[in-house]
Amino acid sequence: MSRLFVLFSILASTGLAQTGLLDILGQELDRNFQVLSRKGDPPAYYIAYAVTDEEASAVTSTLGTITSQDKRHSRRLDVTVRVGSPKLDNYHAIRGEMAQFTSGMLIALDDSPDAIKLRLWSETDRCYRLGVQRLISIKTNKDVSVADREASDDFSSDQPSKFTEAVPALRFDSDAWAARLRKLSARFAKYPSIISSSVSVVAEREIKYFANTEGARISHGQQFSRVAFSAQGKASDGMDLATFDSFNTSDPARLPKDPEIESGIDKVAKDLNKLLDAPLVAPFVGPAILSGRAAGVFFHEIFGHRVEGHRLKDESDGQTFAKSIGAQVLPDFISVTFDPTLRQAAGSDLNGFYQYDDEGIKARRLPLVEKGILKTFLMSRTPVPGIAISNGHGRRQAGAEVVSRQSNLLVEPSRQVPEAKLKEMLIAEVKRLNKPYGFYFQEITGGFTNTGRRGIQAFKVIPLVVYRIYPDGKEELVRGADIVGTPLASFSKIIAAGDKAEVFNGYCGAESGSVPVSAVSPSILVSELEIQKKESSRDRPPLLAPPTASIGGSK
Amino acid sequence: MRPLAFLLISASFLAAQKPAPDPIMTALAQELERSRSLQLEGVDAPYYVEYSLDDLHAFSVVASMGAVVRSNDTHTRLPRLQVRVGDYAFDNTNYVFSDFFGRSSGVRIPLDNDPVVLRHHFWLLTDRAFKGAVEAISRKRAALKSVTVQEEIKDFSKASPVTLTAPDRPIAFQRQSWTAQTRALSAVFSKYPQITASNAEWEASYTDSYYLNNEGSRVRFPDDIFTIRVRAAAQAPDGMPVRDAATVLARTPSAIPAQSELQRKAERIAENVTALLAAPMAEDYTGPVLVEGDAAPQLFAQLIGTNLGLTRRPVAEPGRTPPTPSSELEGRIGSRVLPEWLDVVDDPTQQEFRGHQLLGYYPVDMEGVVPAPLTVIEKGTLKSYLLTRQPVRGFDASNGRARLPGSFGAKAPIFSNLFVRAKESVSADALKKKLLEIVVQRGKPYGIILRKLDFPSSAPADELRRISAASSQRGGAARMVAAPLLAYRVYPDGREELVRGFRFRSLSARSLRDIIAASDTENIFDFLGNGTSLPMLGGGGYVSGHTVVAPSVLLEDLELDRREEDWPKLPLVPPPSLTGSRF
Repeated sequence: MSRLFVLFSILASTGLAQTGLLDILGQELDRNFQVLSRKGDPPAYYIAYAVTDEEASAVTSTLGTITSQDKRHSRRLDVTVRVGSPKLDNYHAIRGEMAQFTSGMLIALDDSPDAIKLRLWSETDRCYRLGVQRLISIKTNKDVSVADREASDDFSSDQPSKFTEAVPALRFDSDAWAARLRKLSARFAKYPSIISSSVSVVAEREIKYFANTEGARISHGQQFSRVAFSAQGKASDGMDLATFDSFNTSDPARLPKDPEIESGIDKVAKDLNKLLDAPLVAPFVGPAILSGRAAGVFFHEIFGHRVEGHRLKDESDGQTFAKSIGAQVLPDFISVTFDPTLRQAAGSDLNGFYQYDDEGIKARRLPLVEKGILKTFLMSRTPVPGIAISNGHGRRQAGAEVVSRQSNLLVEPSRQVPEAKLKEMLIAEVKRLNKPYGFYFQEITGGFTNTGRRGIQAFKVIPLVVYRIYPDGKEELVRGADIVGTPLASFSKIIAAGDKAEVFNGYCGAESGSVPVSAVSPSILVSELEIQKKESSRDRPPLLAPPTASIGGSK
Repeated sequence: MRPLAFLLISASFLAAQKPAPDPIMTALAQELERSRSLQLEGVDAPYYVEYSLDDLHAFSVVASMGAVVRSNDTHTRLPRLQVRVGDYAFDNTNYVFSDFFGRSSGVRIPLDNDPVVLRHHFWLLTDRAFKGAVEAISRKRAALKSVTVQEEIKDFSKASPVTLTAPDRPIAFQRQSWTAQTRALSAVFSKYPQITASNAEWEASYTDSYYLNNEGSRVRFPDDIFTIRVRAAAQAPDGMPVRDAATVLARTPSAIPAQSELQRKAERIAENVTALLAAPMAEDYTGPVLVEGDAAPQLFAQLIGTNLGLTRRPVAEPGRTPPTPSSELEGRIGSRVLPEWLDVVDDPTQQEFRGHQLLGYYPVDMEGVVPAPLTVIEKGTLKSYLLTRQPVRGFDASNGRARLPGSFGAKAPIFSNLFVRAKESVSADALKKKLLEIVVQRGKPYGIILRKLDFPSSAPADELRRISAASSQRGGAARMVAAPLLAYRVYPDGREELVRGFRFRSLSARSLRDIIAASDTENIFDFLGNGTSLPMLGGGGYVSGHTVVAPSVLLEDLELDRREEDWPKLPLVPPPSLTGSRF
């Protein structure tokens, strides 16, 4: 779930007048809509312009050297033109295939009316034409049955908002960070078994501008910063192993000081060193504890993706929870809330914070599961049967069409036990089930989940640091563990939760691109988790020893 | 223009000279030396290892209507390695999956010159490439158990080591003035209200190109390129999209033309597009065609230049040979391919021609071979191909034309500065007169003059797809041919009329045998290619610089079709009225 930055960078241009662009968008929006809504055949009934202004600075390093140092600045335009009517329009999915009209094209970095208006006009024309073509093919498509058309509309009626805020300039001293990263990344050199490693920092400012023909005029934004470090190695049998950690804040000034990063790096390095010599897991089914961060990823993958509303419109989707509103989907002591309005939790800034979604809908706290009962779905302005309006979860990366996505996922158990007690409960389960040991998943990174009907309804997360917990309390680091299984089965097997929430910040990739998300959860105890041995590379470790400073090299 | 003075000296001489050691070269050489001890029990040992590193500083800016749309500033180091196992006669290359194994992607080479860390990266890349080579050769052997090879050709040829260290030049990005110039160039189009899409781009890249191999070659030279490009497009009243573009290329910043000249080029593009909007549609035409201006070198680049290299078909599982580009000139050595009064020479050694900096210059190719001028066509007869160290049937040794990464473990043979020389020629006026004589003789209402082809193509992706589909319909692995961009009807009274919407019907190298006369003037055309017959303007990836110098030529018979396509409708909404100012 980490985000890669494009190699090329962009010079910063500063001092943008923030209302200027909204005015330009509004003027051209009105001019185009006047013609297309009256003279268009079929007419356009809704147009929206969204501009994502992204300014970022990144430095990466390895072993005391800089490997890249980039700045970039871009403004991408996403145009939405809806033709037909809210009941049936050009965005209607045909057999699960969603429309793609926007291209996220680059527009001028300064508020130059001529340059921007010309692009707005030609993009509007392009999207209108494509929209008309698609609407015609939808109407003539036999597969779009009457029942399907009547099941739910294609576009909701929601209230437009007006909001403008000043977003502070990005303050990031790239050269100072480069000097810090040289020192920080050199720490990995002390561990000769680490084959490759990196330390990187990214600071980003995003401003989103949104205008639509319903009168919405919004500009808002925020900053994201991250220091990340990773180490890779190869066990003697060829298995590739990696450890990773990161610090995330909004303002780069609040990223941790060197001593804190250093101890993070040392932990990642030591964990990897230990992993390289750790025993391999054997296939296992039994009780396990997921740390708060691991549980967050687990919930994001196995639960969060299945409550994205647009999946209910997609016949090819598995639709795990299609008829589950009002039904019990999680143990009765678990509630799940999505809250994009939350800036911080457990002392961390949250990646999934936003004030308005990418359809201009005001963000709000959304209790999704209350005491195990499913209350609603994550909604964009694409209605689904039974839910007519958005709840502010229509999101996208610039260049993709909006779908319903996650924000800040909060796992909120009504019953919590101290962490130490959770381990005792695990051991009790191990003994009760007569298992040799249980598992503790300390670090997990994003996996993938398949919600499709055709594929197996499975999920996979990538555990990085995993321990076996023996009945006598001994903890043993192991390598090669993969969690596998089917989602519904896993939900019902949560038997307890810890009392300390942890935060996992990441970027989630799905139909509408990569969007920043967070998951906040305490540790959870699962009575049964299936673990398989990771598929392993058969490559041997490097044949020659690493090079050293001695001239001519050593063997 | 200041020609670069390269030091091209032998290894033994170098030892006496002792230039300041280059930390990158030293580190890479040490690690390359260490790779000699790479071996795995029971498998082929490496016999050839090469390291390349492009140390690239690049700046680019794109502006439209006077406003900056994008600006990039990059420093990156791009490694390329090859490990060959087996021996020169039989190795892991020339096999359909040669490139598949042992690749490393996304490796970032440090920008700091710490020798141990640099070596650390090449250590890992070499290890991976070696293991991939071992995998490839064993699969190649397995594949050969079930196919018979018609002719045994060696996999790699030997070459004598070369040592070259070109002197350093300053890396001097003038970001502010280049950005201002680019804005100004893009603002030229604001004065032409019919133009609905336009931009100006400025790309400057300074590359220190390193090449080392275990045969002893040690090469470093600057491979810089400066590109200024303007494009403009509009839609004719009948819906047909029209466009034009101009590119200016230079190897040194001092060779970049003055802003006033760049501005004139932008104005010319704007005028061309505006004129095309008003031009009548072309009609199908068969008859004499005068090819002059940029069109003449563009035609030779496509029909001769890209046909001079051969691609060897790799070993593959039976019936699974992948499509490889074929050359129209394959198997034609000793045959007439042009009129006997035309010669064609490929000369990468020349840096300048009549005050014009040549883009195809390079001191050493990608396989450590020093090129020499090569007469490829003499008295109209094909004499030689462009060759790399990958032997092809009948040609064992390289002539130093490996200029781009190729397929199946090989490098691609690419031309450089192509000189088309006519021993018999007439003045440009006489050539036009001759065209009109034929027109009158045949009782045709007009003849055709082509002054510019869409080469490299400025077509948007969807149009390129249509061209590609159309050319493959015409049978086999037909090459894509650039369409005429500026074509004129010329009437017997000498009057010229611009037309739009022509495309070539069945244009091929064969068509050039119909050249009946050439001018005594020379048309010079620079471009960046990518090894295909129709590169895209501003396309990414690896590119090679080219200059083609060719006379205007009169072809007795050429077939041109009127493009018959369904054009998009005009937008319902009229274009926005522009303020004419940036703010």
